[in-house]
Amino acid sequence: MEFGQSFSFAALGSQFLVGLSRAMILFVVCAGLSFVLGVLRVPNVAHGALYMIGAFSAYSISTQIGGNAGFWLALILAPLVVALVSLIAERVLFCHLYQREHLMLLLFTFALSLILGDLVKLVWGATYRSIMAPAFLRGSFPIFGSAFPRYNLFLLFIGPLVAVGLWFFVNKTKMGKISRAAAVDREMVGALGINVSWVFAAAFVIGCCLAGLGGALVAPTISITLGMDHNIIIEAFLIVTIGGLGNIWGALVGSLLFGVTQSLGVLFWPQFAIVFPYATVVIVLLLRPRGLLKSVW
Amino acid sequence: MFKELSDSKQLWLVVGILIVLLIWPMLMPRFYIYILSLIFVTALLAMSLNLTIGYGGLFQFHHGAFYGVGAYTFALMLTKTSLPMWVGFVVGPIVAAVTGLLIGWFCVRLSQLYFGMLQISLGSLIWAIVFRWYTFTGGDDGIHGIPRPAVLSSSNNVYYFILLVLVICLAALYVIVKSPFGATLQAIRDNPQRCEAVGINVRRHQLTAIVIATFFAGVAGALFVVLERFVFPDLLFWTLSLEIFIMCLLGGWFTFAGPMLGAAIIVALRIFVGKYTQYWTLILGVILILLIFFLPEGVMGYLLEKLKPRIKEATERG
Amino acid sequence: MKKTFVFTILILAVLVSLVACGPKKAERPIKVGIVDTYSGPPAVYGNDALNGFKLALEEINKEGVLGTTIEFTTRDEQFKPDVGLSMAKELVLNEQVDVLAGTINSATALAISEYAKEEKVPFIVWISKSEKITGEQGHRYVFSTGENTYMAGKAGASALAQQPYTKYWIAGDDYEYGHAIGDSVQRNLKALKPEVEIIGESWWKVGEPDLVPYLTAIMAAKPDAVIFCTGGASMTNALKAIKATGMSEQVPIWIHTATDHAVLKPLGAEAPEGVMGTMDYHFYYPDTAENKAFVEAFEKAYGSPPGFPAFHGYVTAHLIAEAFKKAGALDREKFIDALEGLKVKSPAGGEIEMRACDHQLVLPMYLGVTKKVPEYDFLISSDIVTLTGDEVMPTCDEIKAARGE
Repeated sequence: MEFGQSFSFAALGSQFLVGLSRAMILFVVCAGLSFVLGVLRVPNVAHGALYMIGAFSAYSISTQIGGNAGFWLALILAPLVVALVSLIAERVLFCHLYQREHLMLLLFTFALSLILGDLVKLVWGATYRSIMAPAFLRGSFPIFGSAFPRYNLFLLFIGPLVAVGLWFFVNKTKMGKISRAAAVDREMVGALGINVSWVFAAAFVIGCCLAGLGGALVAPTISITLGMDHNIIIEAFLIVTIGGLGNIWGALVGSLLFGVTQSLGVLFWPQFAIVFPYATVVIVLLLRPRGLLKSVW
Repeated sequence: MFKELSDSKQLWLVVGILIVLLIWPMLMPRFYIYILSLIFVTALLAMSLNLTIGYGGLFQFHHGAFYGVGAYTFALMLTKTSLPMWVGFVVGPIVAAVTGLLIGWFCVRLSQLYFGMLQISLGSLIWAIVFRWYTFTGGDDGIHGIPRPAVLSSSNNVYYFILLVLVICLAALYVIVKSPFGATLQAIRDNPQRCEAVGINVRRHQLTAIVIATFFAGVAGALFVVLERFVFPDLLFWTLSLEIFIMCLLGGWFTFAGPMLGAAIIVALRIFVGKYTQYWTLILGVILILLIFFLPEGVMGYLLEKLKPRIKEATERG
Repeated sequence: MKKTFVFTILILAVLVSLVACGPKKAERPIKVGIVDTYSGPPAVYGNDALNGFKLALEEINKEGVLGTTIEFTTRDEQFKPDVGLSMAKELVLNEQVDVLAGTINSATALAISEYAKEEKVPFIVWISKSEKITGEQGHRYVFSTGENTYMAGKAGASALAQQPYTKYWIAGDDYEYGHAIGDSVQRNLKALKPEVEIIGESWWKVGEPDLVPYLTAIMAAKPDAVIFCTGGASMTNALKAIKATGMSEQVPIWIHTATDHAVLKPLGAEAPEGVMGTMDYHFYYPDTAENKAFVEAFEKAYGSPPGFPAFHGYVTAHLIAEAFKKAGALDREKFIDALEGLKVKSPAGGEIEMRACDHQLVLPMYLGVTKKVPEYDFLISSDIVTLTGDEVMPTCDEIKAARGE
């Protein structure tokens, strides 16, 4: 068991950037999960399935329309498809459960994840899909002497964009402020005459929309398959936990920690990369059991 | 505490069921003996989980990890050492309980969702280690061809052995649940602050409950090895833990026997529905939704509700 | 009212399924029970194998076997070994199948193999590549019609030994398959070329979506060549990352099943060129009349060309039919005796043999390099060198030693 090779600062720098870009996709997905968790106080187990639907929808849209335009349209439309799916699930079924205890809501999202997972199999079948990034985002260019894929650079722009957008929404818009209030004290919000059920619906749909966006963003970099949902959901849950339940900035911190430790770990200790994320999470939780940032509730 | 048991109707029911189970292998073809053995193992696992979630109100999200630890310990002792089977059969659950103690010690410091998430992380860490350490644990291939002692070579004997262990464990669980400890546990579930105020050491009680529950999960794991003769890492994967959760919900987690019923239904449906369709998870999801909306107290809970007025009548009439 | 309804539905469902699936009367077509994965990413392979099997059955059942036809029934193990084993037990005890076949999951294959030994039912593994199946955990009642990691490693090593590379990096999916391939290639390569050095290893979890950090780290270490130990959807991720980082232009790469159609097709023209790979079946090679006919019939029936699982499934069906014919009776022991050493026509042309000493199908390995060609909108394997089965399989003595006989 060797402890990695002699590495230069260049390699370190390049790995760090790669980890950062990976963290961006994780952030987009986890921000959605955190948002829903914050407002509804329920971990959305179906988040992974919605991410998967986002990726598959991006595939369908971009292959239908074709060419570079296909990708950009997919990036806009796929999250909307997911938003629609989540809206239907919420209005038809989920909203009737808000009065019940939390465990029921959690189990509902679990049931939803099972159903959506199989629905993807029904609609898209079992073969792998793949789409390509638009032409000018393909290939790589050297940073710190290593090949850095252009698409990852794109992700490094998108991530902060989403973060800024979310910050703006939560802090500057009325809807966002109400969501924040509902997260902390839903009875008060109700007492102010605001329909809490609609607030929940909006929060749920926005959170799921982010999951869909994550799926669309990740689509050109991996093979789109069934089972994507299981892979992402456990990571998302862990990140959201170490970040601080319901805290979107916690999700950012958690994603950065996760992404960067994983890519640096790959450099230092590539044989045991599989254990890294869990070990990191365990260490964080043992030191700060409530997560790194304050939980929203 | 034995008053309820000596209630003649309940006692006759239990005895009746026991008799049916005892003569089952003589009447049924081999496949149904196997299915029932599998149900027994799963039932024990579900019952052990219910001690923590139903009676304890704890968010035990990764109970499967302890089941897997028990199974692997037993399997490793049988294949890597030449110690007799009963040694492994005792050591397995003990190791599972120790793991429960270690993980539980960290988890009880937190409440509810954090408890659950931390348990998922720690349990997943164990899963990752078992999965990765393939020179020792066989990795994702698992360990196969685990030997059974000669006395357990026929499926009938395996069936009776599992049934025996199940009955002993159930009796133990019943005693625990009906004891003052059990009552305190339920009080803690319903109102932890109150209990704290009266001087009850909430954490110690919860931790004890976890250790007991994980011990029995380890027994279930060892029984799995006796029945199927192999282990694989996904016994420790979080999706199995969620399935056991569903069994408790389906059966009724505020009743004693509910989880057993839930386990029986899920195992039976999984095998028989799986014959006809690839969309078993879709069906499971739909069942779960129906349950949440219409039958949240579970099948057993529903049955008891229906039967309670009649039982009351019967006992009043004398 | 609603509650009673749901409750009764549940109970009815359980009762009906229990009753409706009682043991079947012995009515006597030949029954093959198939356990495979039809959910999740490996489903594409399970379906392919089943399609190959079904195509062969259509031809076989026209003239029949022992005066009757071959029927099959499938069970989805959902890539879970415990479900797979339960399904296999159900097939044997309830459906009373004559032969078991399947699966892609190695843990399931090994578990069912143990059970097959206990119950004395022949079990033919058609996708799983674990060498333990016919190697150290092999026995009389298990057969394999798929290639295994031993064969792949030996083939890869023989290709690489001819190249001038000495410093290798090994990278792959962190599970038994990945490690088995890695070990097999290392072992054989060092035997052929002792000066070879493994300068590092990287292992990622199966299905890891973002392989770019791993690849950039590997490229920074500057090996002469890289051996990737991956497959299926994970390999598609690897190929994408290889293309994105431009790795295939800088460093020579070898992957077993790099030339797998199921992996190259979704990537279309964007798969990386120049990647070395090994496969035991291509629908475009060898360009024999038999292969063309097989591919045409398959495409007509299922809309896309056959992959290696279809090839295995097809051969399995013919092996079952011919073995029963040779045995002359619906007897499992006679079936096994007949199957040992049996030769059937290969859909790719020529004959293919089920080796008697270890029950492994003698499969060739085609070494090739990925290349873009005008006829197809996906990459194919080119400059193909063929290694015969005997050149890549373990010897019968090695098998005996591994099984401790």
